[in-house]
Amino acid sequence: MTLRVFQRSASAVLVVLISASILFPLAWMAIAGFKGRTEVLRSPFQFFPDMWRFDNYVNIARDPEFVRAMGVTFAGALIFTALSLAVNSLAAYAFARLEFRGKRMWWVYCVMPMFIPMMAIMLTSFMVVTKLNMLNTLAVLIIPGVASGAQMFFLRQYYLNFPVAVEEAAMIDGASRWQIFLRLFLPQSAAPFVVVGIASYLAYWNAYVWPILTITDPNLTQIMQFLGNFRSARGNDWGMLMAGSTLASLPTILLLLIFQRFIVNGVRISGMK
Amino acid sequence: MIAPMVILLGIFVMWPLVYSVYLSTYEINFYKGSTFVGAQFYRYVLESSDFWHSIIVGLYYAVLTVPAMIVIALLLATFIKSLGKRAAGWMKTTVYLPTVVSTVVASVLFLLMYQDEGVANWLFNLLSVGPVNWLNDSQLALPAIAVPGIWLGFGITTLILLAALLDIPESYYEQAALDGANYFQRLFRITLPLLKNVLLYLFVTGFTLAIQMIDLALIMTNGGPSEATNTPNLYIFNTFRDVTPYATSYSLTAALLLFVVIGAISAVVFRLVRSEKAIDG
Repeated sequence: MTLRVFQRSASAVLVVLISASILFPLAWMAIAGFKGRTEVLRSPFQFFPDMWRFDNYVNIARDPEFVRAMGVTFAGALIFTALSLAVNSLAAYAFARLEFRGKRMWWVYCVMPMFIPMMAIMLTSFMVVTKLNMLNTLAVLIIPGVASGAQMFFLRQYYLNFPVAVEEAAMIDGASRWQIFLRLFLPQSAAPFVVVGIASYLAYWNAYVWPILTITDPNLTQIMQFLGNFRSARGNDWGMLMAGSTLASLPTILLLLIFQRFIVNGVRISGMK
Repeated sequence: MIAPMVILLGIFVMWPLVYSVYLSTYEINFYKGSTFVGAQFYRYVLESSDFWHSIIVGLYYAVLTVPAMIVIALLLATFIKSLGKRAAGWMKTTVYLPTVVSTVVASVLFLLMYQDEGVANWLFNLLSVGPVNWLNDSQLALPAIAVPGIWLGFGITTLILLAALLDIPESYYEQAALDGANYFQRLFRITLPLLKNVLLYLFVTGFTLAIQMIDLALIMTNGGPSEATNTPNLYIFNTFRDVTPYATSYSLTAALLLFVVIGAISAVVFRLVRSEKAIDG
């Protein structure tokens, strides 16, 4: 009995210790946001600020460049997520249910990009979008990444497990393939869509290398571009940078907290491939 | 219905790939037009010590991150499995949280932590070591960058391993316990053999991702000090942005050769682990 109690409290202590060390960097970022300019890196070292001041958070939230970057990135991320769900789920449905000529070949064609390293296509992609006059547009950030072999693969795995019987009944009633997709498959796709949608959103929101290559227009600066270039543009104002980073991380952290159950299940589904 | 996907992949993946194979055999000159040079750039890249140095940096980074990540993930996954429902739910969320943080945020955050008066040096001071100039020391810079790399990546690894652990029938462990097997015997005789395929998958994907790391090094050190953190992708990316002639074809060729190197090494890793008898759960 006492051994049980000991084990339970030991694992409780471990839970606290492990969580604290995992979350420490994030907490440190938020705390640094509350420190004054001379306080962030002060010798002797100081853990908490003398006084919790909100200046950095208020200033960055009022900074027009920061606000614009957040807004533009958010809008782009939403469009990106919607488009990639549409494109990838359509193809996933076709590969899961339809028979067409050259299906095997197209399957290889659509899945192969999963295995191509990013850099092998990024440079020439840049040259292609330059020729298409897409530099410094929202389209260049959105369209090249929409089609994703990995996401299509994931959604297809999910669709393969859908029962065929309902579909056959609908076919007998004269429903077309499109109607079946829109009326039967889409309404039941919430769970995989959340997983894949969050992945898309994160990929867009956190992108850095592609934006710094294709966007020079300050009106379209992406949020990670803003944070990555912050020190070269404005010097070492760490408190403000950390406040901005904290605010820029909040949307993704909130998404995780809201949909955590789906994500953990998603890992299970993808693990079964 | 696959048309949108096929067309998009065609324009933004397949065509760029073909195009870069094509361009890698040309010398691009904006004034004189391009001339066919065959495999000349392949020779340049293969003879370039910078290219091989960057591959070694990439491999070193992979060695620093992937095994550490998998060991941490395995420990955490076994720990989470032993917890009650509520504590396990909390831990799963906590473990996954760093994964959704962007590499850029992690870069600037760890950059702050690695400053001379930063929190890393404070911690090491408590152990009466330091202060250490983390990112300006060519011995320490890459390990210092590996820390945020592990922090960003171990979450998903843990969740995948946890899912795999939960698939192992509990009766195996009960039987083993009846036979008097201790913790380590259970770990090495049951858990690890049954996780073999998952671990193999994690090693190969972890390796290919690690050798391609670019954001952290780009923001934290931009390849320095003295090229110690110049990973392959960063090297290629910075070469591409360089204005010197031939930089375009050279960087494209290097990217293609990196593709070949990654493919070859993954194949070797795969073969090595596969050659022993695979055990299916």
